[in-house]
Amino acid sequence: MLYKLFQKLDAKFSFELAQAHCDIPCGIYDPITAQIAALTVVRMIDLMADLEAKGAHDAAYHNSMARYVAVKEEHAEKAKHEIRVIWGDYIKAQHIEKHPGVSDLVHKIMQLGSKARQTNDRDNAVQLVEAINEFAEIFWDTKGIATKRAKAPYNPPLEMVYPAL
Amino acid sequence: MLKIMKVSGESLAPQFHEGDFVLIAKIPFVLNRLKPGDVIAFYHPEYGVMIKKIDFILPGGTEFFVVGTHHLSLDSRLFGPIKRGELIGKVIWHIRKPR
Repeated sequence: MLYKLFQKLDAKFSFELAQAHCDIPCGIYDPITAQIAALTVVRMIDLMADLEAKGAHDAAYHNSMARYVAVKEEHAEKAKHEIRVIWGDYIKAQHIEKHPGVSDLVHKIMQLGSKARQTNDRDNAVQLVEAINEFAEIFWDTKGIATKRAKAPYNPPLEMVYPAL
Repeated sequence: MLKIMKVSGESLAPQFHEGDFVLIAKIPFVLNRLKPGDVIAFYHPEYGVMIKKIDFILPGGTEFFVVGTHHLSLDSRLFGPIKRGELIGKVIWHIRKPR
């Protein structure tokens, strides 16, 4: 009864949350998962274009196209998810102070990721890869680790950011 | 002086659970001094607004070592004691979510 009253008040006034965090701070974060997911999105768009160029629109075409679209969807969302986790769980106030543009960059990645799901715009997908590269540079800088750029050793051979270990 | 907050997380289980409401007395510390065992809300610069139990008060009375009751609790064992200036208040009433 009393709880229901507070619940109604909460719905109206949105009481502030007091976090009773229960977490395992494992400290294992790496933007490479998001980078590879974004690269996969570009790869799927390339495969879709190749398939379309062949001209056939039979059952095999629809089967392959559906699979490419599904993988594109999955990996665009995965890229967004991985970035959200690093940004939400790892990035702290002192990191934002040093890299004041990181929150805007994360927002940009979210928007590019959404558009990558909605469309087969290759330029947008390439921008997603690059935005996540920029995020990776910031991430490794927060750990004091230098980065290098190199072409991915598989298709599409886009430039990727790696820690220079 | 009073503030209602909603608990998120399970680090104070089984005493407090996700979705419970708590009434926080914001500045009762002159008349009602804080002591180990009190549950307090505070602002942590990295983790935001948190609720934990005072394990012990450091000499000088200006810093509090806070813990959760769950073994995976994120608390002073990880981020150190909290300062008096970070205190929001003490839990004086607990409205449990029906289970």
